[in-house]
Amino acid sequence: MNKTSSLLANRRSAPTWILRLRRLLNYGDRPWNFLTIAMSTLVIILVVGVGLLMWFDSQDSRLAIGWKFLTPTLNASWNPITSKYVAWPFIYGTIVTSLVAIIIALPVGLGIAIFLAELSPDWLRNPLGWLIELLAAIPSVVYGLWGIFVFLPVVVYPVGVFLGNTLGQIPGIGIFFKGPIPASGSSRLAAGLILSIMIVPTIAALTRDVLRAIPNSQREASLSLGATRWEMIWQVLIPYGLSGILGAVILALGRALGETMAVTMVIGNSIEGTPSLLRPGYTMSSVIANQFAEAVDRLHTSALVEIGLVLFVMTLLLNLAARFLVRQVARKTPQEARA
Amino acid sequence: MRKFSFILTVLFFSSILLAACAQATTSPGQPQSTQLPADSVQINGAGATFPLPVYTEWIYAYQYVDPSVTLNYQGIGSGGGKKGIIDGTIDFAGSDSLLKDEEYTSGNDLQMYPMLAGAVVPIYNIEGVTQTLTLDRATLAGIYTASIKKWNDPAIAALNPIITLPDKDITAVHRSDGSGTTEIFTNALSSFSDDWKNNVGAGSAVEWPVDKAGNGIGGKGNQGVAAAVQNTPNSIGYVELSYAIANKIPFANMVNKAGQSVMADADSLASAITDYANSFDEKLTTKIVDGPGAGSWPIAGYTYIILHTTSMQDCTKAQKLLEFLNWALTDTAAGKRAADLGYSVLPDAVRTQVLDKLGQVTCNGNPVMTNK
Repeated sequence: MNKTSSLLANRRSAPTWILRLRRLLNYGDRPWNFLTIAMSTLVIILVVGVGLLMWFDSQDSRLAIGWKFLTPTLNASWNPITSKYVAWPFIYGTIVTSLVAIIIALPVGLGIAIFLAELSPDWLRNPLGWLIELLAAIPSVVYGLWGIFVFLPVVVYPVGVFLGNTLGQIPGIGIFFKGPIPASGSSRLAAGLILSIMIVPTIAALTRDVLRAIPNSQREASLSLGATRWEMIWQVLIPYGLSGILGAVILALGRALGETMAVTMVIGNSIEGTPSLLRPGYTMSSVIANQFAEAVDRLHTSALVEIGLVLFVMTLLLNLAARFLVRQVARKTPQEARA
Repeated sequence: MRKFSFILTVLFFSSILLAACAQATTSPGQPQSTQLPADSVQINGAGATFPLPVYTEWIYAYQYVDPSVTLNYQGIGSGGGKKGIIDGTIDFAGSDSLLKDEEYTSGNDLQMYPMLAGAVVPIYNIEGVTQTLTLDRATLAGIYTASIKKWNDPAIAALNPIITLPDKDITAVHRSDGSGTTEIFTNALSSFSDDWKNNVGAGSAVEWPVDKAGNGIGGKGNQGVAAAVQNTPNSIGYVELSYAIANKIPFANMVNKAGQSVMADADSLASAITDYANSFDEKLTTKIVDGPGAGSWPIAGYTYIILHTTSMQDCTKAQKLLEFLNWALTDTAAGKRAADLGYSVLPDAVRTQVLDKLGQVTCNGNPVMTNK
């Protein structure tokens, strides 16, 4: 008649396997433990598995080409017909475009973050923050298309011509700015600039969160000691949040290193001898995306996998370096300041 | 305890991983048979993107011819298609590039069948030029080997007496992705120029001399090349005829081997095919670049279907697949669809050879095509 008694009756007559399951779940901790360990193990296995797979799949090219694959050379050859593969132009392209991107995006992103966190009037803060996050959500192929039809002819080409005429004339560093930039604007510079636009939101949004998380007591303390707003931001807030900001930069750099689509669309995809930013280049992820589907030769496939392996190791090293850097910075920050 | 359960978990997951790997390597050459309702046959193909527009239209139209078949073709690239058919993950592959000798042995009963021919055309963007440009075999090869560097080069000017060509550097655009289009184009250049043949060669991706010379740009896909040419003054590139037609991009005329200036269209493509109608080898493959006929477009190539000829397991599926191919090759409406898209169907002389070969496909030892 009443519900509880019928439920109790049900419970008493429940099949044994349900009882057993209940008993198991009563231990609570143990299945939960198992589950979390399983999930974290999955991550380890994935990383190791991906690494191993690339290591074995790149065996042909590692054995056939050896260290020459990675040697920096000006006249590197990537020739599927004669099976000559040197990855240096791609490695160089990836590094140089990411560097350009981070050099431009860091001050801009930092500026946006400081404005949003400290200076912005309240009515502007949310809409602006929302717009920045929206920028991060634009698919890279859209950046690429916009790059080809708008950004390259309107911005990159004039900037490239200007750089070629000024910095390009200086002996020494001039070789990095030696023109002429192709009339379409396709160049390493274009790729670096597009990348910088793509990673600004990452840096800005993360740094803003880091700054917002700093306790107000820090701000009040420095202001009460007579610091100006500028001094408070540069001498208190930035050092306080430095490890977080570094983390944001590393995350952004990771995105720049691996970005494929937008870069492929604007970099010109050409293996050129010069190190100049104003000339077309190629990156590691672009060459994989471009050539893998149609790579029929074993050595060709294997060489592409080896490029993937190099990129994998590069990002791994970058992360390790970042971790080391963050630890160093954290150690240097006075403990009292963090308390 | 904790350490123990950790090790246990690691073992558990690695065994799953190992099992998955083992599964993936065991059954090569056997198309997967998926369980489907008895009245529907699912046929999966994948490969070259070059014929994708036509295959898509054919598959769409074929629903009305035989509703009991569900066909599906993914444009993943010739390389992917070949891997798929060798590994047995698909029922048929599309490919623009030929199987290598060792690939014939690895799949051991593979056979290529030409399905369509397509042309590749040079597109250009020269400041102040609105007329149709004419190039010949030597100048096109010269531009891509970077031995002809300026638009007002005497060799180009001689071919285009009525056009005022600017004294500007030529930017040569090529495909950055591996592609059947590049294979056809480089096959043609190899035939046009010994210099190209000996120093560069032909393939779906090559090392471009123009890149080394500093005036080459790579674009991804037909649209990437077209966009680069459109945005780069004084540039030249190459795209499929079908793409140029669909997007109304003007393209250059070519002076062919016979010394005639020809325009790329269905007729000049058909002429190129006819030039080589009897030159198929025992693998049923041939090149159709640089044909000697007076009206032949010199930059053309076949796109192929690859099938297993003796080891298809599901005979109903095999029969449905061959029926589809037979329809595609013989149906006039199917042929018209292909022609409208800028491709050329096989002329009778070639078609008979292909149908003959298709008739030799067996399933469990019995011929699949009963009434050819």
